[in-house]
Amino acid sequence: AERTVSRQTTNLMKLVYGNSTLIKTTSINEEDSSGDEESDGDDFFRPKGEGNKKLSEGLDDGNFNIEDCSKFTSYTNLKDWKEDKLIQNIRDRFVTGDWSKAAQRNQ
Amino acid sequence: MGKTTYKRLQGSQSLRQRLLLATLSSTPILVEDIRADETWPGLRPHEVSFLRLLEKLCDDCVVEINETGTKLKYKPGIVMGGRNLVHDCGISRSIGYFLEPLLLLGLFAKKPLSIRLKGITNDSKDPSIDTFQSTTLRILRRFGVPSEGLQLRIESRGAPPHGGGEVVLAIPTVQSINAITWTDEGMVKRIRGVTFSTRVSPQFENTMTYSARGIFNCLLPDVHIASDHKSGPQAGKSPGYGISLVAETTSGCFISADTAVSYVLREETAQFEDQDNELSPPEDVGKQIASVLLGEIEQGGVVDSTHQGLLFLLCALCPPDISKVRVGKLSPYGMETLRNIRDFLGVKFVIKPDPSTGTVLLTCMGCGLRNLSRKVS
Repeated sequence: AERTVSRQTTNLMKLVYGNSTLIKTTSINEEDSSGDEESDGDDFFRPKGEGNKKLSEGLDDGNFNIEDCSKFTSYTNLKDWKEDKLIQNIRDRFVTGDWSKAAQRNQ
Repeated sequence: MGKTTYKRLQGSQSLRQRLLLATLSSTPILVEDIRADETWPGLRPHEVSFLRLLEKLCDDCVVEINETGTKLKYKPGIVMGGRNLVHDCGISRSIGYFLEPLLLLGLFAKKPLSIRLKGITNDSKDPSIDTFQSTTLRILRRFGVPSEGLQLRIESRGAPPHGGGEVVLAIPTVQSINAITWTDEGMVKRIRGVTFSTRVSPQFENTMTYSARGIFNCLLPDVHIASDHKSGPQAGKSPGYGISLVAETTSGCFISADTAVSYVLREETAQFEDQDNELSPPEDVGKQIASVLLGEIEQGGVVDSTHQGLLFLLCALCPPDISKVRVGKLSPYGMETLRNIRDFLGVKFVIKPDPSTGTVLLTCMGCGLRNLSRKVS
């Protein structure tokens, strides 16, 4: 487990700061599986990382005139938060949930 | 004076942040190929407006734009600040677009800044004015910005497309901000919010509040959503309504989500085209934003995805000391910010995923930016 963690670290660093295109796909997958399954993120993340990396070489455009927006909300695949299963997932993030479980997040 | 060497950049992406970081780090920049291949080439009205704002705030700064607006030369000056400034933000982007960089510029200005900004207060693209009040300013306080003199007042609201809103922002100056370790998300103890409506029935607000509450009902009883119906001159020039929610945690984190609904200009191209002219019903708006907020909470982190950029910038601008923060999934804007920080300030974050919670931990050493014009007392 220790090794996977360190590998993920380098992948995230690479995803942000660039320097190798090969490992990028895996790092995206890992990110997704550990977080929530918003698949629309994939196509969005990749070109930007690459675009930035190749900046000095004169890149394939389109990527580098991206809209300047801090807000990142996609309304297309919003979850239905009335579903019981989803609510159980985040129950412990509220004071009405299990406090000991919430405390574990910070270990 | 000797010859100035410019840092060469390309494209229109994160122009706002580049100008901000160029100013803070006193790096002259030369940006080329700004939308050179597009039907409407060059700088957009809001970008030009932001440059004008920089000229207003700074002494000795030089802005040169070529005829088509595809090339920009910017030599930063000294951020002066000052009282009773006025800036018209125009109507191509909302006031939030200008506030994001302005907050940081104000902190490192020579004199405390107070400025009246005119334009759009709430839209769907930028963080709304209510979110700045409820969340953004509190994030600044976390980094040691004093709350005296830090204020954002809404004089009137303005929805797109014609705006007509006015806000007054006051920012104190700081000598430097504090490095922090901020990884405890805590548990959500209350949800607050505010709805607004301009030139439509106040009943719209009740409907949004009701449907938003419906989502939170089974999770938390402590939900209070205020309403702010504006009428007459305070309602700006266009009809619109919207909602801003914030979840407050036991460890003092504020997670926000907001949106606004309004009509769009028909004749405008590009930036307005992907919305139709039918307004989405207030019922859906309330429900959507409540769902977005729960999504942000589920994702984790000490700030929401919108505030990642600001959080990273604050960490990077700290004195040379270690800052450690936790965010949910990295947002595209957050990643872009990390790259810009590296390019201008030379600060590189150590980014480490935390697989057990699906969050990401970021650690950095601040670049040690000091406000030289503010003497130690």
